[in-house]
Amino acid sequence: MADLTTKYLGLSLSNPLIIGSSGLTDSVDNIGELERAGAGAVVLKSLFEEQIMMEVDASLREAYQNDMIYSAKSETLDYIDIHIKERTLSAYIELIKEVKNKVMIPVIASVNCISSAEWVSFANQFEEAGADALELNIAILPSDENTGPESIENTYLDIINRVRSQVKIPVSVKISPCFTNLAMMVRKIADTGINGLVLFNRFYTPDFDINNFSEKSSNTFSTPSEAGNVRRWMGIVSPRLKCDLAASTGIHNSEDLIKQLLAGARAVQVVSTIYKNGRDQIQKMLGGLNQWMDEKGYNKIDQFRGKMSQAETSNPAAYERIQFMKYFSEIQ
Amino acid sequence: MKLSLPEKQNRNMETTQDILKSERQQSWREDLRKSMKAKERTSRERVKMLEQDPHIRNKNHTEVNVGLTEEMAIKEAQRCLDCVDPTCISGCPVNINIPKFIKRIEQGEFLESAKVLKETNALPAVCGRVCPQEVQCEASCFYVQKLKKDPVAIGHLERFAADYERNSGNISVPEVEERNGIKVAIIGSGPAGLAVAGDMIKWGYDVTVFEALHEIGGVLKYGIPEFRLPNEIVDVEIENLRQMGVKFETNFIVGKTSSVDDLRKEGFEAFFVGSGAGLPKFMNIPGENYRRIFSSNEYLTRVNLMNAANPDYDTPVFSGKNVAVIGGGNTAMDSVRTSKRLGADRSMIIYRRSIEEMPARVEEIKHAQEEDVEFMNLNSPVEYFADENGNVNKMRVQKMELGEPDSSGRRRPVPVEGSEYDVEVDTVVVAIGVSPNPLIPASMPELDVTDWGTIKVDKDSMQASIEDIFAGGDIVRGGATVILAMGDGRKAAKGMHEYLKEKVRNK
Repeated sequence: MADLTTKYLGLSLSNPLIIGSSGLTDSVDNIGELERAGAGAVVLKSLFEEQIMMEVDASLREAYQNDMIYSAKSETLDYIDIHIKERTLSAYIELIKEVKNKVMIPVIASVNCISSAEWVSFANQFEEAGADALELNIAILPSDENTGPESIENTYLDIINRVRSQVKIPVSVKISPCFTNLAMMVRKIADTGINGLVLFNRFYTPDFDINNFSEKSSNTFSTPSEAGNVRRWMGIVSPRLKCDLAASTGIHNSEDLIKQLLAGARAVQVVSTIYKNGRDQIQKMLGGLNQWMDEKGYNKIDQFRGKMSQAETSNPAAYERIQFMKYFSEIQ
Repeated sequence: MKLSLPEKQNRNMETTQDILKSERQQSWREDLRKSMKAKERTSRERVKMLEQDPHIRNKNHTEVNVGLTEEMAIKEAQRCLDCVDPTCISGCPVNINIPKFIKRIEQGEFLESAKVLKETNALPAVCGRVCPQEVQCEASCFYVQKLKKDPVAIGHLERFAADYERNSGNISVPEVEERNGIKVAIIGSGPAGLAVAGDMIKWGYDVTVFEALHEIGGVLKYGIPEFRLPNEIVDVEIENLRQMGVKFETNFIVGKTSSVDDLRKEGFEAFFVGSGAGLPKFMNIPGENYRRIFSSNEYLTRVNLMNAANPDYDTPVFSGKNVAVIGGGNTAMDSVRTSKRLGADRSMIIYRRSIEEMPARVEEIKHAQEEDVEFMNLNSPVEYFADENGNVNKMRVQKMELGEPDSSGRRRPVPVEGSEYDVEVDTVVVAIGVSPNPLIPASMPELDVTDWGTIKVDKDSMQASIEDIFAGGDIVRGGATVILAMGDGRKAAKGMHEYLKEKVRNK
């Protein structure tokens, strides 16, 4: 039986399989079940500042339509955003406390904010509540043609620096690959001294119905094919950085898990495969990892982590191959 | 002096409009209208309320508004056109018969005017002082709607009539029906509870009001300062209720001292929950737990209820020289003006929107400005700092600008990045609203409550999900005005009365 323990963000995990931020990790009961199923750690469902703002808007609409709720001159209504934020934050803090009371595995809080001041305020409170670490879910889609790449990058760095200056618990950041020069951006992030980096965030994708011309969401779940891009960049950046790396998106089975570890990840985050296959998938994936390690003669993950990274592999150029050419394609 | 029950209660077949029309056609009203041409009435300027000088009153706790004299009241009443379609009434949450009470003043029948007020408003001396008339009755006045002029001073006239009656010693005590022996409990002695008590006692019920504090009156006593609403006025109203037979139990927390079930076992057959919304709220910004940062609840309760400003009393309150009050409503105005009276050199309002958008009564803002309160609009605190003893000594403030409208149509305050600056403070009062009192809902898990923590009720009867429980005021609305609370109380009294009649019938 191999030793599957690993360290991520300075936290000791019994195995490298972390359940990522999602509806799977939004309640004490669910998280308890995930621990029983063998998860190495959990990232709590993200607290979204945008969601708070949407709740505020919904509350204001309700208050102005229902003459039994507040009056227009009510001070409470005037500051309803503060009240709702406090209520939402209190509920999240309560969740952190309850989960920490119930489970032994590390609990990583997750937050996504719009305004820079809120990141720090939320981070402080999560730390006080007992979160083992904090994952900053920074997601800026570069769709504004008037905002240059440097400005976006500086926003990321500003948030990271502000939060890190205020909290003592380990901090990681989950990013998307949408940067002009991802390698440079990853370097800048790592140079802030951040404890961890999660590659990659997976964005909601809009879709539309061609029959009734309405919008809908698509691709709620990831597919294994999406892991390729994560693998590429994991392999490229893992040898270069001191901070811990976690792989996220498209990791559905033990082979996917093993590949990310080989590319250099310390841990992986999974969500879709648990939704699709149930919590039993955790043991299947860990069982597969264990079996493979036994077959290959590995006792510990450190013995093979990064073995296929760009720095270690016998074909480093493969990581930077982006065009399909006859010699590299199996299809003629 | 005894009042007969309002005639309109017996006129089941007539609509309110019919009643108003027939009252308007009474000879005394017609004579008054004929005594002065409409043109002369509308040419008059609104009579200004007599006030204490701002730089004298900002050092005392005596009422700011001195009141109208009889001549002033009659003069102002003459401005009222006694409209065919009195839109002012629809602007009043309890539909006071405004033209009728004003015309009684014009007639010189001030006691009759007070009687008219009390047909629908249990606490006219209170409402005349604290209602936001500028968005209620006065906003609907013909002068505002059609002539774009200052409205008739309905609030000041209401206060005049109520004060006249009180000072005359001829306070009208409504007739009370024969006692029916049915016990009802009212939880909370604020405006909603007092309104229910007033009606239920009239209908012959055995009424007990349970109040958690040692003083009766709720927010009327602990929240609104003396310089706006003297406690003695509230006490007169309470004494009226006592004379009618209402019993008051103070220092009694329903849900702790006794549960509602306990009270049921003691024979109470219906309950009105008027426990209000007194749970303080803070902004949750760094440093907010330093010493000398108060909730407005605590700050005002110490001064208003516990006499902290009076050196003869033991209750301490720290109110320094540089006081910042966060918020823009009436509670914020009350707090900042209290700080001035407690000796502050700088009394500041920090509010994140513009002055035009402040929810406080227009009169309170005006009074505060006159009293040298500094208004720092489009500002919001982001952090507090303290000295080596943990006492707040500095506040970091960020400038705001007004962005896109939110779903209420008001422009959202948006922080201006990099605009932070520091202000020296030694006291901070946070007045950003409150939450409903959680005690009763927590002690009755089967009671339906909203996500806001308010008790869900039927809009018409104010009955909650438990059939013998009724509720109104801030515990239902979250945060409202005195007049709305009273309106709820009166509606709940009717609902409770119907429920109990049915209960007796089915026994």
